[in-house]
Amino acid sequence: MATFVEQVREMGIKQAVVTKADEVVERVTAGMNINDVRAALRGDEPRRPNPRLRPHADGFWLHIRPSFYHTGVTNIYPTFRLGWLSTFMLIWETITGLILMVFYTPSPLVAYSNMWNILGNVPLGQLFRNMHRLGAEVMVLVVAMHMLRTFITGSYKKPRQFTWATGMLLLVFTIFLSFSGYLLPWDQLAYWALTVFISGGAAAPAPAFVNDTVLLVLQGGPALGANGLLRWYLLHVLLLPLLAGIFFFVHYYKVVLYGISLPPGREQIGEDTAKRVPQGERTYFIPDILTSELMWTALATLFLVAGALWLWDAPLETHADPVVTPLHVVAPWYLSWSQGWLKLAPKTAVVGFIPLLLVAFIVMPYFEVGKSRRYADRRVGLTVAMLFIAFMLVSNWMGSPEFRVTSSPDREVSIHLLPEEGPGGLKGIPFDHMTPGTYVPGQVIDGNPFLTRGLAVFEEAMHEQSCTLVGNEMWQECTVTTLESGAKSYSNRFTDVAMPDPVATLEIVEIQPNLKEMTLHYQVADPENPNEMLIDTPWTAFRHAFSNYEEECQFLNKSCAIN
Amino acid sequence: MQIKIVIGTIAFMLTMMVFGYSALREPARLERFTNAELGRSIEAGGHIFANNCATCHGVDGTAEACFDAAGNQIACQGLPLNFNGLLCGEPSQRMTDMGWNGTKAAYVLTTVSAGRGPIMPTWSEQFGGPLREDQVRDVTNFVLNWESETLCAAPVITYDWPETADEFLARTDEVEPGDPTRGAELYALTYGCQACHGTLDGLVPAALGPSLLEIETDGATRVEGMDAATYVYHSILFPSDHIAPECPTGPCAGPPSAMPANFGARMGENPQDMADILAVLLGE
Repeated sequence: MATFVEQVREMGIKQAVVTKADEVVERVTAGMNINDVRAALRGDEPRRPNPRLRPHADGFWLHIRPSFYHTGVTNIYPTFRLGWLSTFMLIWETITGLILMVFYTPSPLVAYSNMWNILGNVPLGQLFRNMHRLGAEVMVLVVAMHMLRTFITGSYKKPRQFTWATGMLLLVFTIFLSFSGYLLPWDQLAYWALTVFISGGAAAPAPAFVNDTVLLVLQGGPALGANGLLRWYLLHVLLLPLLAGIFFFVHYYKVVLYGISLPPGREQIGEDTAKRVPQGERTYFIPDILTSELMWTALATLFLVAGALWLWDAPLETHADPVVTPLHVVAPWYLSWSQGWLKLAPKTAVVGFIPLLLVAFIVMPYFEVGKSRRYADRRVGLTVAMLFIAFMLVSNWMGSPEFRVTSSPDREVSIHLLPEEGPGGLKGIPFDHMTPGTYVPGQVIDGNPFLTRGLAVFEEAMHEQSCTLVGNEMWQECTVTTLESGAKSYSNRFTDVAMPDPVATLEIVEIQPNLKEMTLHYQVADPENPNEMLIDTPWTAFRHAFSNYEEECQFLNKSCAIN
Repeated sequence: MQIKIVIGTIAFMLTMMVFGYSALREPARLERFTNAELGRSIEAGGHIFANNCATCHGVDGTAEACFDAAGNQIACQGLPLNFNGLLCGEPSQRMTDMGWNGTKAAYVLTTVSAGRGPIMPTWSEQFGGPLREDQVRDVTNFVLNWESETLCAAPVITYDWPETADEFLARTDEVEPGDPTRGAELYALTYGCQACHGTLDGLVPAALGPSLLEIETDGATRVEGMDAATYVYHSILFPSDHIAPECPTGPCAGPPSAMPANFGARMGENPQDMADILAVLLGE
C-alpha cells in the first residue's frame, strides 16, 4: 500500500485527499465507502457484493444486529417498537444517570444537599434529574407494555420460551432499578417508601431469623442509615445495571437467534417463519431499519427532553427524618397493585405470593400445551390473561391514595390545604398574595383571586369533613350514631367521622421578614357538652418568599390546591 | 425512508432548540433554586425552632420570659435571639464580645450545635444533641432570617462601664441599690457563675474557678489599691487583668483567664445585674 505522501506524488493533493477520506470512511463503517453510504441514503440498490452487509460481519457495533428483518415485523404492529424503546430507555437512563453520579455522594450527611446543589448550582441539573426520573417511570411503563404485547401476541411460545424467561427477569430488574434509585435523594418520600418496601420484604413466609437477616442486610442496620444508603446506591449504580446489562444481551441474542415473531395470523402453526426469511420479504438493516431507529431515537429524545422541561418534575421533599413518619406513605404507582393486595390478604401471604407468581410466569411457556399463536386458538389463555389484567387494574386502584386509611377530619383538611410535603395546597399562592389576616372558609377577598381560590378550596375540604346538628346551611345534616362506649359519632355522606358544626379559620402572620406562618385553627364543641372541645387544634405551615412553590405547581405531576 | 430522515432531522433540531432554550433560561433558574433551598431551609427551621427553641427563647425569639413588666432583665433560661446585638453588623456586637473571628452564620451554627455555658444545651447529634446537621443548619438559617432593616436601624446597646465599683454604684439614676436575692438568682442561673465558682452556701465547692466564699474579705488583699468591691467589679468585666492565686485544680492559669470575657457585654444590656451580683458576693 502506498503511503499518503506517495499518493500525493502520484495523483496530486486533491485526489489523494479524496482517496484517503474514502479509505477512512470505509474503515470507520467497517466496509462501506463514501459512495456506498450516499447510495444507501438515496435508497439505491446496493452493488454486488452487497457492501451493506459488511458492517454486520466485520464491525463491532453491528455484529449483534441482524443484517435484515422480515418485512412483516417492521410495521408498528406487532412490536409497537416496545422492545427497541426498552433498550433505548436503558441507554438513556445510563447516560443521564452517569451525569448525575458526578454530582452525588451516597451519604446521609450530604445526599440531600447534593440534590439542591444539582437543582440550584449545576447548569441544566434540574433538566437532567427530571430526564433521569421521568425516564425511569417511562422505562417501567415501556417494559411492562412490552411484556404485555409479547403475551397477547403469543410471542413467548416455543421456541421463544427462554427469551420470555429472561424478559421476566429484565422486568424485575427494571422495577428494582427504578425503586432502588428512589432512595438516593434521601428525602422523606425516599426514606419512607423504602422503609415500607423493605419491611414488606422482611415479612416473607420464612423463619424469623431469615427475615431478620434480610431486613438487616437491606437496611444496613436496625434502621435505614448510612450503610443502607450506600447499599442501595451500589445496587442502583452497579449490581442491577450489571445484571440488567448481562440479561439484556442474553435476551437480545435470543431475539436475533429466533427472529422477531411475525403477527400471529401470518404464521402456520408450529412454523417459525421469522427465522427463515424469503428473499422478497427482507428489509435490510442498512439503510431502512437504521434510519427508522435513528428517527425513533430523535423522537423519543425530543419527547423526554421536552417532557422533563415542561410537563414533569422530579419530586424532592424535605430531608429524610427517621423519627417523623409522613401521614400517608404511598408506593410508587408501578407498585400500587401490591398495596392493593395488602388490603385483600395478610402481608406474609402477599409477600410469599409475589415470587411464586413470578416463577409461574417464567416457567409458563414451558408448560403451555397450545402451540398456536393465533388469537382464535387461545380463547382460554387470553381470557385468563384479560382477567389477570383486570385484577391488576383493580388492585392498582385499590392501592391508590383514594383507598388510604383516613385520619381525623381536621387532619384530612389540613393535609389537603397545607400538606407536610411538596408544593401542594395553599403554599402555591404567590407570596405577595398571602395577605396577613384571619380568614374563614369560602371568604371572597377582593383583588386577590389566589387567596379567594384557596379559601374556596378550604370550604370544599371542610364541606366533606363537616356536618351540622343545628341546620347550618353551610354543612350537611349530621347522622348521629351512638357507639358501644356511649360516645357519639357524627357522619355525613363522605365520612364516618365528621366535625359537627366546626369553626375553622386560616390565619396568616408574617413572623419574620419574607416568612409567613399559615395556621389552620379548628374548634369543634362537643354537642353533648358545649363546654368541652372535641377538636381544638391548630395546624401550622411556613412559607418563605423564596421557596418557589408556584413554579413547581406548573408541572402536571405536581398539583396545587389552588390550580 | 426519506420521510423518516426528515422527521428525524426535525425532531433532532427541535431537541437542540429545547436544550438551547433551557440553557438560556438557566442562570435565572439556578438563582431561583438556590434561593428556594434557603427558603425551604428557613421553613424547616421554623418548625424546629417552634418545637425546641421557643420554650426558652420565645416564639418570636425575643425571650419575653427574660424581662419583667418594667422591661428589666430577670432570671430566665434563654437570651433574646431576635435582637440587633446578635444579628446586625458583620461582625455583630455579640461576635465581638465573644471574641469570635468567624462568620455570623458559623457563630450561630456553632452555638446551636455545641451549646453555650451551663444552660444552652448542645443540639447537634455530633455533640450528643438531638438534631441532625441539616436541622442545625435549618434552624440557623431561621434565626439569621430575623435580621432586617427595621431591626438593624435601632442602635446596638453598649454600656459605658466606669472605672471603679463606687463610681458605678453612684450612678443612682441608672442603678438601684443591689438586691442580694436577685443577685443570687443571677449568680446561679442567668450567668451560670456557680458552675465554676461553686454555690454561695458552700455546699457545692468551686469546680474550676477560685472559690468566692471569702471574697468580701479576700478581695481587698489581692491587688494593691483596690478594695474588694472594685476588685470583683473589675474582674467580672476584665477577667484576665488579675489572676487569682488559688483555684481548685492548683494555681489559677492565665492570663488569659479561663473565665469568659463577655460578662461586661451581657450585663451591659441591664447594668442592674452588676449591682445585684456585687451585692450578693460582697454580702452587703
